[in-house]
Amino acid sequence: MLSYVIRRLLLMIVTLFGVSVAIFLLLRIVPGNIADILFDSAGLIDPAEKQKIVVDLGLDKPLPLQYAQWIAGLFRGDLGYSYVSEKPVIDEILPRIPITARLAGIALLFAVCTGVPLGVISAVRQNTWLDYGLRILSLSGLSMPAFWLGLLILMAFVHFFGTIPIYEREPATYWAWIQMLVIPAAAVGFRSSALIMRLTRSSMLEVLRQDYVRTARAKGLSEGAVTFDHALRNAVLPVITTIGVETAFLMGGLIVTETVFNIPGVARFLVEAIRWRDYPMVQNLVMFIALVVVTVNLLVDLTYMFVDPRIRYGG
Amino acid sequence: MTLGFLARLMLACLLISCAGLAGAQAQKQGGMLRVTHRDNPPSASIHEEATISTDMPFMAVFNNLVVFDPDSPQNRLDRIVPDLATSWKYSDDDRTLTFQLRDGVKWHDGKPFTSADVKCTWDIVTGKVDGKMRKNPRKTWWFNIKEITTNGPLEVAFHLNDPQPSLLVMLAGGFSPVYPCHVPAAQMRIHPIGTGPFKFIEFRQNESIRLERNPDYWKPGRPYLDGIEYSIIANRSTAILALVAGKFDLTLTGEVTPELVKDVKAQVPQMQCLLQPSNTQGNLLVNRERPPFDDARIRRAMGLAIDRKAFSDILSRGVYNVGGAMLAPPEGLWGWTPEFMATVPGYSADVEKSREEGRRIMAELGYGPDKMLPLKVSTRNIADYRDAAVILIDHLKTVYIQAELEPLDSAVWYARLARKDYAVGMNVQGTGIDDPDVMFFENYLCGSERNYTAYCNPELEKLFHQQSMMKDQDARRQLVWEIDRKLQEDGARPVVYQSQGGTCWWPHVKGLKLAVNSIYNHWRFEDVWLDR
Amino acid sequence: MNGGFLSDAVYWSRRYPLGVAGAVIMIVFVFAAVFAGTVAPLDPFTTNPRASLAPPGATYLMGADMMGRDVFSRMIHGARISLAVALGATFLGSGFGAALGLSSGYLGGWFDLVVQRVAEVMQSLPLLVMALVITASLGPSLINTIIAIAIPLIPNVARVIRSNVLSLREMPFVEAARATGMSEWRVAIIHVLPNTLAPLIVLATAQLGSTILTEASLSFLGLGVPEPWPSWGRMLSESAAEYVRTAPWLVIFPGLAISLVVFGTNLLGDALRDALDPRQRD
Repeated sequence: MLSYVIRRLLLMIVTLFGVSVAIFLLLRIVPGNIADILFDSAGLIDPAEKQKIVVDLGLDKPLPLQYAQWIAGLFRGDLGYSYVSEKPVIDEILPRIPITARLAGIALLFAVCTGVPLGVISAVRQNTWLDYGLRILSLSGLSMPAFWLGLLILMAFVHFFGTIPIYEREPATYWAWIQMLVIPAAAVGFRSSALIMRLTRSSMLEVLRQDYVRTARAKGLSEGAVTFDHALRNAVLPVITTIGVETAFLMGGLIVTETVFNIPGVARFLVEAIRWRDYPMVQNLVMFIALVVVTVNLLVDLTYMFVDPRIRYGG
Repeated sequence: MTLGFLARLMLACLLISCAGLAGAQAQKQGGMLRVTHRDNPPSASIHEEATISTDMPFMAVFNNLVVFDPDSPQNRLDRIVPDLATSWKYSDDDRTLTFQLRDGVKWHDGKPFTSADVKCTWDIVTGKVDGKMRKNPRKTWWFNIKEITTNGPLEVAFHLNDPQPSLLVMLAGGFSPVYPCHVPAAQMRIHPIGTGPFKFIEFRQNESIRLERNPDYWKPGRPYLDGIEYSIIANRSTAILALVAGKFDLTLTGEVTPELVKDVKAQVPQMQCLLQPSNTQGNLLVNRERPPFDDARIRRAMGLAIDRKAFSDILSRGVYNVGGAMLAPPEGLWGWTPEFMATVPGYSADVEKSREEGRRIMAELGYGPDKMLPLKVSTRNIADYRDAAVILIDHLKTVYIQAELEPLDSAVWYARLARKDYAVGMNVQGTGIDDPDVMFFENYLCGSERNYTAYCNPELEKLFHQQSMMKDQDARRQLVWEIDRKLQEDGARPVVYQSQGGTCWWPHVKGLKLAVNSIYNHWRFEDVWLDR
Repeated sequence: MNGGFLSDAVYWSRRYPLGVAGAVIMIVFVFAAVFAGTVAPLDPFTTNPRASLAPPGATYLMGADMMGRDVFSRMIHGARISLAVALGATFLGSGFGAALGLSSGYLGGWFDLVVQRVAEVMQSLPLLVMALVITASLGPSLINTIIAIAIPLIPNVARVIRSNVLSLREMPFVEAARATGMSEWRVAIIHVLPNTLAPLIVLATAQLGSTILTEASLSFLGLGVPEPWPSWGRMLSESAAEYVRTAPWLVIFPGLAISLVVFGTNLLGDALRDALDPRQRD
């Protein structure tokens, strides 16, 4: 078991290395660099001035050297300077990460707290009108473009309440932050909630049929105990799968929701950094995202092993 | 047409003097002004940028040598008033302009302002001294400055090669603040120091800009506001919704499209909205070195296909002006009158006739409805550019040109322009000041950086210089009209529309004075106060 | 089942009503996409300044956009784009993903390790980065958008197929096949592959919907299918910027169309899963 974990950690490093090479090369394949973009806003094409910037930033050095410098900096904890704001990358990223983390956290919380109970209800009340209604609701959640949902929410608020739940200035207290993020989090989490609901429902149904549940019933346990103790525990597995597989969609949902609701999180920041060809910013942000993704994958796989002993990974 | 002309001018003047009249009430101290902003400013240094995104928020941090009189709706040469310069005088040969400077002015970090700062600033922007700026977009503005000398801490003189009345106009614009000698360019990009009514507090990328009142400002009693806060909201609809919901007091200038202005006024009738030219024009970049446009006949056919009024109708519900390179009257000072415009080829009202002629030309070259000329129209991948390009493609069909849109990422766009790797580009460009020197020398001079199409006409260039030196502004205007006409005839850079944009603010925002022929020049905010 | 088409239809409708509803939606969608030229009342590309932002009415069933183009006709032609994107990206993504998942799950060992790492790398690169790289380097076009959308599908499909194969591998009938001396390849193709087909079809149908949604997101951010192709995603994102209040039909209709079609694929996918994967049946 421990050896498996250690092996996975080592493999994680391999993946991260692969990501770093991939993002480094991909960025440089794309035409246009920061010098081009900077001059874009001034509408100029002065080769001499552009070249000065290119040299200043070390963009004319051979690629392997640039890569080595970046990685060496990473190990030292020096993430470099943003090409656009000329401030340290760390200073730009660090304050924004908690914002997106809060948004994602509240969204997942919303998804689990609504998805699981509704999934259970839907399974227990299978094939009733309630079940059909919930299934259609969950399917709608999976069918709507995330930003359309966000826009509809905005339009609804403006129309019915005369207010607009977007971010305009930094909330003063932690509680004010939560209040501000609740609505965008619901927009982001709606899709995940729908998925979790469906998966909870189907795995609950499968489990409810199984022998050992019948046995538990036969032993005389109450319906409620049967449901929540045995069935639910085994329904947890697909929820965990969702979290793993959905990370990509969640990221996309975060990006568009942060854009629609104007939240200054790290997802929206990544979009801007790419537009500006701010290499240090994009590279380090992508590495961070990769770290999150591989960690989530590892945790998902580990939980799999704990929960479903039938799956072995050959030590 | 003349009636509409007068009506527009009167309306603008009325609105602006009303704002001024309101200023006659007792101004109240205090309050934060909250403004919506749209695009992240590339940096906080006005001299290094050419976009309203930087100009509007950061102009309040600085002073110029001179400024345009806020009480005049038109920014013009004869309505320039002192700022850091208390008076100025031309030498007898008009080649030296000497400024007397204000005493007792301090930079935000406490150091005193002197003539050395003026010399520093212009030595750097003219390129004489390497100020380590990352870019210098208006270097061409200052081509005529030979050198700058100081005479004590309160006097500075600009020595010119030739007389140039427009120099004062350029110095009065929002893009000409005075920078401190002792602050390096790198710092001016992230934490600018000026002498202006507001101090820079912070700039969070893609998020917000905050300015605070300068208690030691050299104008007593000013500014009235405690501070100004800009929130960057990328989505235009959302920003307007937030304005209407009362979360903001003022929008970024030119932000509100004509359509949205109507909508805003419908929701909030008391909202003040001013629709004005945004100093931006849509024009076509035609690559004369590459087929098919190396053939002048095809260039001509393309020019005849364009229905300028349709652009205006679609993009702005008919609000946009039609004109040449210079901004059309009544707002603009140098654009053609309708009578003159009628004499310029390609501006005729009978579009169908023009298109027939275009088709005739193309037919002679062997094209027809079954044999259309394939073409790629390149443009930046931004809504404004794309919309105009789509309309252009539709018009080109009428002269047997089958065009396809090629939207390019911004960096790619400029790189391709530099390499002349395009056939025709749909371009949207801004001009810092409504002045012929600025327009001609930036865009049409042989070898100028912004002369993307490499248009070069030495005869015309002589005329550029000639008009630059003329003191009699009326005679100068006539010459400018002729030059403009020649540029359009040559198809140098066919101008398709001149855009307008709206600025909206709540009525409790008082003292705001906008100009009708520029969006860049009146964001000092020193006279603005909140009636709450 | 015998008795002709009608009785078949009745049978399936009774058994899987939601699935049939989904199939009907898909058929309408595909029909509109294929016969767009004849079905659409007006030309989707002609601009008409006088009709700019016309509200829904007699001539313009769903109103007109800023250029005066008929929204209804553009929607119908947009179905063609959405269909192309959905089919193209799903086939590409699911095909490659399944191949990878099958081979790595079955063969195991070093190959599995490497493929897993490559899949993780692909998963870790945000879709946006991939899409931007592809559209910026190769130019925005339909094909490039399809490629950009297919790529994040590959690791996801591979992962699911792989875990499926892992559990199948230990099953008795596979052991038995091996015991008879069959080569690994034949075991994989004859015994394992058919049993992954069902989950693959279910997965692919689910992905159909998500590719359409992804295209909408890409268009929202300015990447994706360019003018003049009337992609629903781009129609939605352009109108969302400006016309949320002034011309809400521009925001509502494309969004509704996208949601409806994806809804249809999900209904169909659910029904297919019920029919093909007996373990998961209600």
